[in-house]
Amino acid sequence: MGKMKFNRRKQIFSVFIVMIFAIFLLPGAFASKQVSGNKEALGIKLAKQAVRANKRWTTTDHAKIEILKQDFKSGDEITQACLSCHTDASMQFQETIHWTWKVPSEKEGIMNGKAGHAINNFCISGNNMEDKGCLSCHAGWNGTKGEVNCLACHGSEKFNYKEAFEDLKAFAGDDDPDTIEITKEIQAEINNAVSKITMPQRENCGECHFKGGGGDGVKHGDLDTSMAQPNKNLDVHMAAEGANFSCTRCHTTVRHNIAGRLYTRPAAAERKSLIDDDMASKITCESCHSNMPHKQASKMNDHTDKVACQSCHIPEFARVNPTKMWWDWTKAGDLKDGKPYVVKGEFNKPTYKSIKGEFRWEKNVKPEYFWYNGSFSNIGIKDEIDPAAIVEVSHPLGDKDDPDSRIAPFKIHRGKQPYDKIYKRMVAPLLSGPNGYWTSFDMNDAIIRGNKTLNVDYSGEFDYVETTYAFPITHMVAPEEKALDCNACHIRENSRLANITGIYLPGRDRSTFIDSIGLMAVLGAFAGVMLHGFGRFFTRNGKKE
Amino acid sequence: MFKKTLITCILVMFSLGTISAAFASEGPNGNKRKGKYTYRKVVKACFERGEVDSATPKISPADKKQAEWKAIFEEKKFDEFGCAQDWAALNEKDVLDIYSYLYNFAADSPTPATCK
Repeated sequence: MGKMKFNRRKQIFSVFIVMIFAIFLLPGAFASKQVSGNKEALGIKLAKQAVRANKRWTTTDHAKIEILKQDFKSGDEITQACLSCHTDASMQFQETIHWTWKVPSEKEGIMNGKAGHAINNFCISGNNMEDKGCLSCHAGWNGTKGEVNCLACHGSEKFNYKEAFEDLKAFAGDDDPDTIEITKEIQAEINNAVSKITMPQRENCGECHFKGGGGDGVKHGDLDTSMAQPNKNLDVHMAAEGANFSCTRCHTTVRHNIAGRLYTRPAAAERKSLIDDDMASKITCESCHSNMPHKQASKMNDHTDKVACQSCHIPEFARVNPTKMWWDWTKAGDLKDGKPYVVKGEFNKPTYKSIKGEFRWEKNVKPEYFWYNGSFSNIGIKDEIDPAAIVEVSHPLGDKDDPDSRIAPFKIHRGKQPYDKIYKRMVAPLLSGPNGYWTSFDMNDAIIRGNKTLNVDYSGEFDYVETTYAFPITHMVAPEEKALDCNACHIRENSRLANITGIYLPGRDRSTFIDSIGLMAVLGAFAGVMLHGFGRFFTRNGKKE
Repeated sequence: MFKKTLITCILVMFSLGTISAAFASEGPNGNKRKGKYTYRKVVKACFERGEVDSATPKISPADKKQAEWKAIFEEKKFDEFGCAQDWAALNEKDVLDIYSYLYNFAADSPTPATCK
């Protein structure tokens, strides 16, 4: 009877154990099935949906427009022809920063932008657009004067209109049959180029933005000529075998205002996905990928409120072409036999130019990481500086307690540039033109002339100060498998986020006090189990002999 | 006397100016602007026959210094350009125009060509 009772109890106990296992294991099995069945992350699905309708079409063949078949004598005439249909285009464009190169700052009487009071540590200033060297990238036919050059952004044919119009003018009136033939050919080439109208393509934007700062890859680090035809390893969004985006796919445009401008105000006023608002700008990653971009239950989704997508998905920048990382103006002005010279170094890039100073170029650069809310603090020509410290001419704004801030990657371009020793302000030397530094090699005179263009006083004494300039890294998004893994940041030594302080980062940070408590708990539990086991062993499990 | 001195001075100045101008213009005196188009035309015709892989010239004036262009054109060694058939068909004036174009925008000229 007693034995039967014992077997019954054993059966009940076994069923109970099985049920416990079932309760704990079954949901896990279902959950894992759900995760593995959902092969595509939500963020990818949403992004595909957002760009599904990328089938641009047009009802206009510009080659058939009569007014575009005329013998143009100047760029202004071409624009007049464009405006005969697109009546407000020029007016709209002239109100944008792409034309004015200025944007009002929150500081009283200060204009940001390269034609305003902003300073950088490359060619330093646009000198209120009086530095003619900068104007080659202004979207006008004749610098700031005359009409907008619509074809800078909307022409698909790369054509040197300036040269063509100069040659037409020079050949005018020459009745030599060869010259007449050449003239006709030039005119035909102009008409052919004018008829090839497009939405802005990478080459249009890249003509200036890939070459900002005076050459390929000088400024940005994540934008250079390699991005004109990138492969998927370089940029998953712009690669032909990837999403094949043009710039305007993300830099959406309203009345010729192109999203993406970054100064004291962020490019996107709020982080909206297209699920929240289908008319939202596509300038942020979340716009298309949402704030749950990874697979369900992925720990990575817990990062999106604190870490920018770019931090992990752009492990290095300048992965094909090198980018300039250091520019030292103190070395400028050295001449050989009275003439300026150039020294080329690694990557076949100039490491010294008499007109500009000394440079350093790098490839496959690891970004530096900062809290970033989408805005920058800028030091302009009217701001006081501390020359004893490194001057952060442009630096990301953000804070760990700011809900709009994320840890984001940056290129930090370092250098030395002139400042006003007495007034303790940055200066804006005039570089190009007959009186600029590149001709005179007289920095003091160049500063006098340059500051004058901005109506800013100069004491007459200058020295050099070390500066930094930050660029957000947001292009060159690598394929999924090349994104950073957890150990890049969550590691004790050489964490990518070593300079992000004031937060607890598991794996990187430790607390001796908490670690001691944990260790004590583990050792205590072990000691308890051992004591209990030995107690039972030596007491023979409570049985009497 | 003053008038004579003034005329002599002017004559001397004029002579010096002419002589220095003559020495300064050591380069070819063809039509460089026409030369640019003739050069492009040569390459384009050659490309259309499939002899070169680009319709735009791959050799830019700024790829060489003035002395190098001088040597090429004085010795009439145009092998580097390819398109032998087209070069052979050019008359003296066309060659001089092309020479003037390449020489005047050479790497060490006052205005080196910036684009290929």
